[in-house]
Amino acid sequence: MLDQRHIDAFTDMLGAKGTTIDQEAIYPHVREWRDKFIGKAPILLMPSSTEDVRNIVRYCDEHHIAIVPQGGNTGLVGGGIAGLEGRNEVILSTKRLNKHISVDAEDFSVTVDAGVTVSAIQSAAAEHGLLFPLSLASEGSCTAGGIVSTNAGGVHVIRYGTTRALTLGLEAVLPNGEVFSDLSSLRKDNTGYALNQLLIGAEGTLGVITRITFKLYPAEMQKHTFWLGVNTPQDALSLFSSARTASGDRVSVFEILPHTGLEFVLEHIEGTQNPLDTACNWYVLMEVATSAADKLLTESMDDWVAKAFEQGLIKDGAVAQSETQTSAFWKLRESMSEAQKYVGGSIKHDISVPVSKIPAFIEEATALLAEHFPSCRPTPFGHLGDGNLHFNVMQPEGADKAEYLANWEEMNRLIHDLTIKYGGSISAEHGIGTLKREELARTKSNTALSMMKAIKQAIDPKGIMNPGSLF
Amino acid sequence: MKIMVPVKRVVDYNVKVRVKSDNTGVELANVKMSMNPFDEIAVEEAIRLKEAGKAEEIVVVSVGPKLAQETIRTGLAMGADRGILVEHDGETEPLAVAKTLKAIVTEENPDIVLLGKQAIDGDNNQTGQMLAQLLGWPQGTFASEVAPEDGSLSVTREIDGGLETVKLNLPAVVTTDLRLNEPRYASLPNIMKAKRKPIDMKTPADYGVDMGTRLTVLKVEEPPQREAGIMVESVEDLVSKLKEKGVI
Repeated sequence: MLDQRHIDAFTDMLGAKGTTIDQEAIYPHVREWRDKFIGKAPILLMPSSTEDVRNIVRYCDEHHIAIVPQGGNTGLVGGGIAGLEGRNEVILSTKRLNKHISVDAEDFSVTVDAGVTVSAIQSAAAEHGLLFPLSLASEGSCTAGGIVSTNAGGVHVIRYGTTRALTLGLEAVLPNGEVFSDLSSLRKDNTGYALNQLLIGAEGTLGVITRITFKLYPAEMQKHTFWLGVNTPQDALSLFSSARTASGDRVSVFEILPHTGLEFVLEHIEGTQNPLDTACNWYVLMEVATSAADKLLTESMDDWVAKAFEQGLIKDGAVAQSETQTSAFWKLRESMSEAQKYVGGSIKHDISVPVSKIPAFIEEATALLAEHFPSCRPTPFGHLGDGNLHFNVMQPEGADKAEYLANWEEMNRLIHDLTIKYGGSISAEHGIGTLKREELARTKSNTALSMMKAIKQAIDPKGIMNPGSLF
Repeated sequence: MKIMVPVKRVVDYNVKVRVKSDNTGVELANVKMSMNPFDEIAVEEAIRLKEAGKAEEIVVVSVGPKLAQETIRTGLAMGADRGILVEHDGETEPLAVAKTLKAIVTEENPDIVLLGKQAIDGDNNQTGQMLAQLLGWPQGTFASEVAPEDGSLSVTREIDGGLETVKLNLPAVVTTDLRLNEPRYASLPNIMKAKRKPIDMKTPADYGVDMGTRLTVLKVEEPPQREAGIMVESVEDLVSKLKEKGVI
């Protein structure tokens, strides 16, 4: 248990600005934004340097105090929420670790403190005519440390990869208080185990990431944004393949939305309208982009559109003529989750399967759901281009929300089993946290699980780093 | 009825404009360009008039660089019928543009010239008024509603403190304000159709217009940066700081 002695020690260590025990100030840090998880913590620690983090971790190591590291608190699996399931944990928020942000334009890299937000990294890169490609709905709040710890995905994975692919080096404080520093921006480095890879996606269970070096790319100067109406996911998949070829592999976004999902958005989100006159079964939001003006790309995409239209793969569509229209298309996509909140209970899955299997998966999952949960409304949407679907299932119209949500685990098992059958993953980009711990144990092989546990044991033998996540 | 819609290619509304390092203007290299949003509203209104059976033909006109063809193409993709591009690289000042438009009006004989109240790059708000004067036509500026009547046009104008409705005899010049309508998206079938619609390529010389500039820009500067604020501990502290600064 944490007593006054520890609280005084932390306050001495970090000063008045670096700690708070005011429960009102702590509450936003222990509450998951959808209210799915409400935790508790006796104290919130807000270090402002790696040195501060090291002091905290050393103290916690010595006194067996469990730490939950937290970035922007935008996670969806409860991985950053302290005090769940009766655990006694302190929160280590990186929000004051946000001073350092330096772009090396010739190296196409940027080094930032863990608490810097993704949108701040994007802006810093843009000032140098560069792109930090990671982009997701929560980019205004989520942090560098958070996206690395969860290996965040987002909408640009098909072209630029997940956070893992964008991370060149990092610095972290290990559970024993030592600083592991590998902030190099090397593209090639084969010197034994790639230790920084272990910390990426570790959800704060192996240490606290304090600083990161990310890869940058040339900014996208010419961009074509399409909103396409299609009949089936299979047609969308065919379009994705042919667009990759026609564009010289410059498709940077390929998202799919069902008509039901769009209807929820149009009904509940102000200022939205369907860009198309005709309702289609599915919609695709596609972006093709290049770093230099390229007339040939424009012509090639024009030809692609004309051909796909002739073949009947595109039923109707619109092309953004200005950034205002581009934003309007994006608003429809980014409002998908929010709109579902107003419709009622939604049971969520964040799965991935091989891209080629998406159409078959959607079909089989929809049939399976209809059989087990009659009248539920499957609303799968997301990153068709990288095989990741947010397979959300809305409650039947007029059903009782709580009663419906009681099916959460049963439905999860059904969808996850099907995902495994398709060679997929039960958590494509949201991570495990506390939410999917049991599903991880149920679906991973014993070999994989024991390797993971051996790593955890080797690096965090006392189990003080985010003990509620993963296992 | 025939409607002529002049449109301008400008830096996209959502682009954060940056001043060139030599302070001669704003950076245009590698910057997203789009149709001036007020002109987009004008195109939309023209199409609505056509869809309502009030107009037969819509001609989209632009004075600007060769790439302004794309801007005209956007108008055609929204539903206009054909385009005219008067190719001119370099500055286009309102008077020279108004003179060019007047010459085109003389050839095309439209009943209405419908254009944005201003372009968002220069914010001049002059072209429509100058054109009306040069043609000796009535003008309805800052329109938030346009209703054709028999041989005339009722235009609701957004003025300080309210709305004013004027009745114009045709032919007339109308400039559009933001609330007139919400422009539509260019649909794929219409974008493809637009490729086959003609764009006449002209030069200022074809119309005998001198595009020479009359204004000289001395210097372009960024607005002053907002300075960092300070945190005060209490109301007393705030009051004393304000007094210190001589604000109160």
